[in-house]
Amino acid sequence: MPNITLSGVAKSYGGGDYAVKNLDLTVPDGAFMCLLGPSGCGKTTTLRMIAGLEQPSAGTIAVGDRILDSVERGLYVPPEKRDMGLVFQNYALWPHLSVRENVEFGLRMRKVPAPERRARAAAALKMVHVDAAMERYPSQLSGGQQQRVALARMLAINPTVLLLDEPLSNLDARLRLEMRAELKRIHDESGATIVFVTHDQLEALTMATDIAVMNEGELQQLAAPMELYARPANRFVAEFVGSPPMAIVDVGAAPTGLAGSLLRFVESRAAGCAPAGIGIRPEALRLDPPPDAAWSEEALVEAVLPAGSSWTVRLRILDAELYALSYTPVEAEPGDTLTCWTDQMHLFGEGGDRISSWDRTKVGA
Amino acid sequence: MALLTKAETPPPPPRRRRLVYRLRVLRHDPTAALGLILVALLAYLVVAPLVAVVSDAFRLQYGDQVHAGQQPGEWTGYYLWRVFRSQISGLLFWEPLLNTLVVAVGTVVFAVVVGGGMAWLVTRTNVPGRKWLAGALVVPYMLPSWTFSLAWLSLFKNERAGGQVGFLQAMGIRTPDSLAYGAVPIIITLGLHYYPFVLLLVGNALRRIDAQLEDSARILGAPQRTVIRRIVAPLMLPALSSAVLLVIGRVLGTFGTPYVLGLPADFRVLSTGLYQSIRDRSTGVASVLATVIVIIGILIVFTDSRLMREHRRFVTVGGKGAMDRLGDLRRWRWPAFALGLLVFVLSVLVPVLTLLLSTVTRTPLDLSTFTLDFWLAERLPGAVGFPHGVFRGSELWTAAWNSLRIVGLASLICALCGLLIGYVVVRGSAPRIAGFLRQVSFLPYLIPGIAFAAASLSLFAVARGPVPALYGTTFLLILVMAVTHLPYSSRSGIAAMMQLGREPEEAAQIAGASWWQRMRRIIFPIQKGALVTGIVLPFISGLKELSIVIMLTTTGTELLTTLSIGLVDYGYTQLANAVVLVIALVSFTMTYLTQRLTKSSLASGLGG
Repeated sequence: MPNITLSGVAKSYGGGDYAVKNLDLTVPDGAFMCLLGPSGCGKTTTLRMIAGLEQPSAGTIAVGDRILDSVERGLYVPPEKRDMGLVFQNYALWPHLSVRENVEFGLRMRKVPAPERRARAAAALKMVHVDAAMERYPSQLSGGQQQRVALARMLAINPTVLLLDEPLSNLDARLRLEMRAELKRIHDESGATIVFVTHDQLEALTMATDIAVMNEGELQQLAAPMELYARPANRFVAEFVGSPPMAIVDVGAAPTGLAGSLLRFVESRAAGCAPAGIGIRPEALRLDPPPDAAWSEEALVEAVLPAGSSWTVRLRILDAELYALSYTPVEAEPGDTLTCWTDQMHLFGEGGDRISSWDRTKVGA
Repeated sequence: MALLTKAETPPPPPRRRRLVYRLRVLRHDPTAALGLILVALLAYLVVAPLVAVVSDAFRLQYGDQVHAGQQPGEWTGYYLWRVFRSQISGLLFWEPLLNTLVVAVGTVVFAVVVGGGMAWLVTRTNVPGRKWLAGALVVPYMLPSWTFSLAWLSLFKNERAGGQVGFLQAMGIRTPDSLAYGAVPIIITLGLHYYPFVLLLVGNALRRIDAQLEDSARILGAPQRTVIRRIVAPLMLPALSSAVLLVIGRVLGTFGTPYVLGLPADFRVLSTGLYQSIRDRSTGVASVLATVIVIIGILIVFTDSRLMREHRRFVTVGGKGAMDRLGDLRRWRWPAFALGLLVFVLSVLVPVLTLLLSTVTRTPLDLSTFTLDFWLAERLPGAVGFPHGVFRGSELWTAAWNSLRIVGLASLICALCGLLIGYVVVRGSAPRIAGFLRQVSFLPYLIPGIAFAAASLSLFAVARGPVPALYGTTFLLILVMAVTHLPYSSRSGIAAMMQLGREPEEAAQIAGASWWQRMRRIIFPIQKGALVTGIVLPFISGLKELSIVIMLTTTGTELLTTLSIGLVDYGYTQLANAVVLVIALVSFTMTYLTQRLTKSSLASGLGG
């Protein structure tokens, strides 16, 4: 099965504003690709363009050798001929058709004979575990069941590409957790290429094989989840992925306070390195006794926020406020002074791109 | 891991390439084509008649060469002069205008006092039988508006107009002209028809006031009277001003009542003046009058929407906290009920019973002369134009069949167009087309029916280009009736489609359904309910419609309403009354059933 390629794709709604700017993206065959970004970043528009529900203003969209859209060459395949599946955020089940009829619809359109249609619909419903509700109507189903039916409706046609638009955002927390595992399983079983859109980084990190981070219509980084987390391409990605987010200290011309302290340490390690920003993830800011080679500084405890398995501590270090995330109990009261240290820093250059990381264990990157 | 350089906005592909691509897309998406077809249709059926009538007002018509000293077809100010400044302008325009204003103001005062009072009674007090009163007091609106005028004639008609005299006259009590005809009876009968309008609008607003707003004022120490004056009354203003302006607009375009009660006493209003000008074949004058009515109608609706916008800033009337506490009338409870009952009796029982009795008695309302001849007789002695009971002969049945078929088709077209307009607007691939459809389909709402009929006549009475003259054809009646009811169905179509959203269709598209399959299997089945209401509401209102059709029907295309007016013209009061009773019965039954079956409230179809 082929890759999905987007090259030079742009979408403008007129007036010089671009929802998507010059996007180049390849979704490898069989991938579970996530488009991640804040609302309004162009991720849903991108998905709808792949589905053919919106048309790009420029660029080419292809699956393998089959060109679906090419503004430059005047080629267009309408959505109904693309053989893709798309699960809508609000499911868009047809209220006047029963669950079975909803799922059979795509097969009916493909003129699949009735016995086979029934069998395939039943199989798809079985795959998502709602085969018991076959003859009911969508309004009689719970939100989670509706979601599964919407999924089954698209799985029934065996699409080579399955698109999901914020599929889990309308579910409650428990169902969401369950559906994440389900989607992963369905991806493995069906072998389809899945592209899904979300603004929830946890969803992206837990499910995807590849994550494309977008912001303001531009692709920021395309990487595997842990790669994205360990080596964010720029300040946007670094701050968007991770919770609580990475703290990035701006290094000015004559840095003082925390920035000065961090910069002196960085320069002592790698001479000639001149970062514009230095980032520390909360879990990398440690409160246990510091080793010799690490950067350390006195910190004033402002608040301790226990959350069962972890402790978030708000610290004042010199002139800055930072969060530390600890997985061991923090025995401190507001007003106490602790020594905090880190051995993992991300260095960002002038334009915001990451220039290197400093890691005690793995030097450089 | 690849570092990505910042993407720049790409240069757009060449215009010609983009065009090729767009065309390719359009070929697969009939929405755009459908939108264009609807635009053309609306431009032809809504905009063109208005242009035609305005241009007729400024072009010399055949036959007026001698008076105006110009050639036919030339631009002229002759008709403006004739209507506004000439010696007969008083008769043609100023007097009817004044009469219209008198009738409009009188009707509004009547409707607001009765409707407003009753609205307060049924929504805010513990009057006995509230629920029943609330339903019963809306019934007058389900009857054709000129039912009341025929009942009035049956009671008060004197010998002035010839034909059968009314009940009082027959009893030997002389009814003066001013009581039998003219402003007073017109105001009362129109008021009786339109007060439910005020009752519904104001009643809805009263019901939706958040009780917390009043409670807050009371907690801050305001006495009851102050709460009403400073909190409730200002919140009522939008609904009240809307009701007032809409009643004025209706009165402006209403034809039946002033025709029946005004003309015998030479009491002319703009709508009857327009009708007469057209009957006299003075097209130019008629066009000027129609244009004036159109302009007044548009001004009224603009004022209304302007006021609404002003008010909306402070309208916080929410769905929550509906009024459940009712004012206690104490010992006035039963007198208040009696008052409500009186209004019901006067506005429903008296007119309907009067009509009914008048059709079964030879001497008006004298039961000793009971007869079923007016309904069933093979031969009615003395009646030349209609020599038998209404159920005999073919006239009633032909007219009923015409009504059913013409109004039914018009409603069907109307509902379909409304839904398609909603579809195109919601799909929204072309914002300009959507905007045009939204606005132009609403345009007939601004135009009093009789003026719109005159406009359509201007355009379609003569052959223009490939379109033959349509005057007198069923086709024209259907078209005009469909167009005049389009505002309601397009609004409900847009609302229904908005509510549905585009996802269900997109899901079908993704699943591989072609446009036609999507329409047939998804959109129309889901919108079945909306489609049925979209047909039934225009149907009921079309059945009662007179102002629009009066100028368009000919002997071959007689409808129930025009048949009844024709009988009035002949002076066959009993027969006319019988036909109106038939219409009232059908329209009332259908409204009632629709409300029961679809649970839609009459208020939503108020416009109709």
